Amino acid sequence: MIFMIYGLIETFNENLLLLVLLVFGIASAAGGVPPMLERKRRRSIENTLPSLLESLSDSVGAGRGIQEAMMEQSRTLPGVLGQLLKETLEESHSSSFDAALAAFAAKTRSSQVQRVMVLIETAIEQDAPLQGILSDLAMDYERLNDLMNKREEELLGKGILIVLFISIGLPVLIAFIVGLFTPANKGFQIDSFNVTFSLFFGAASAIAIGVSGRMLGRFKDALWWMPGWVALSMGLYLGAVIMIGG
Amino acid sequence: MRKLDEQREVLYVIRTLDVLMSSGVGLEAAIHTIGSGGYGIISEDFSGIMTRLQKGSSRGLGSELKSMMNKAGSEGYRRLLNTMYTNVTQNTDIIETIRKQGARMENERSESVTKYIEELGSVPETLLSIGMIGPIILAIAGLIPQLMSGEMGAFMKLPPTATINIVVNVGLALTLFGMFMIGLKAHTKDPGL
Repeated sequence: MIFMIYGLIETFNENLLLLVLLVFGIASAAGGVPPMLERKRRRSIENTLPSLLESLSDSVGAGRGIQEAMMEQSRTLPGVLGQLLKETLEESHSSSFDAALAAFAAKTRSSQVQRVMVLIETAIEQDAPLQGILSDLAMDYERLNDLMNKREEELLGKGILIVLFISIGLPVLIAFIVGLFTPANKGFQIDSFNVTFSLFFGAASAIAIGVSGRMLGRFKDALWWMPGWVALSMGLYLGAVIMIGG
Repeated sequence: MRKLDEQREVLYVIRTLDVLMSSGVGLEAAIHTIGSGGYGIISEDFSGIMTRLQKGSSRGLGSELKSMMNKAGSEGYRRLLNTMYTNVTQNTDIIETIRKQGARMENERSESVTKYIEELGSVPETLLSIGMIGPIILAIAGLIPQLMSGEMGAFMKLPPTATINIVVNVGLALTLFGMFMIGLKAHTKDPGL
């Protein structure tokens, strides 16, 4: 079995593009993990944002100052957002409240939070009615997050389906047909055919990853995984042809 | 690309204008605040307006807003600029109008996301149909010279192998192009969340 695997890998020695893509794919897959973790963290913060704004609106409506209300919320708010708010407000004793808001927005690394903080800052500067603004913002961002979550839920399965079928299912299926009807051990000369089709599967796989990433609104993050999937697709086809056809 | 950026930012700009102007900030100061950054392409546009106004190289805020309306790619942004232009020329109640616009735009955004999800529902099936049927047929076509060689070749006269290879290669390229065009729908119809 081990010799068979070694033999299979040995046959890829002549395919420079596949080897380069394989190495590049493994390296870039490591680069693909941080954006995924960052996105998970950011979405968790953004999903908690409306409840924070709503609570702040209630507290301000009850007569508390925004700084006091934020302090109170930082103690009760669960998750990363509460933790960051608590940290920032504790660190802000030596600076101004505006600086604390800016630091908090920067720490979250979320454009939603940054926008909200800028608006709160402006509203404080202009002495605007905070309760109404916070309540409106809570509703706005709740609706926005609902839409983003809906898109994620409904399109994730479809995106995975495209990638699995195009990058794995299709090369294996064609390799099965080719290996079965024109086995190399019976003298069929299909080297150039295999090169053409392996390149096609690589390109098709790249398109599938791109489409799937764009459907979910994270095309740039998907690019990290592209070389790996392209190499997998090409390798699967060439490997399956050799395994079936000999 | 510009249209997509505008669609993504315009609702945030409307909300900011609402907060700023409800707090008593004037339209020009609000444009200056948004132009200072944070709202993508709209910030760039507003920053350009302010720069030209400060340099004195424009015919006033009204004409700047009007020329920006021609540049706008999305309907929502054009409507917002039109509201601002009307406020400058006719002193209308801009706060009330942009609030209504914001509510309307939010409904439109919800509808467009639902529509986007529905439209993309058929993408996997179409992509898989073209992406799988094409290569299967072309693989068999490409293998015909091998399969029909020797005694089998006497039953049927085949075109030269080079011709078959060209047909297969062109077919594969067309399949990729078809897949790309179907996938492009995911980009062009993006509601810009």
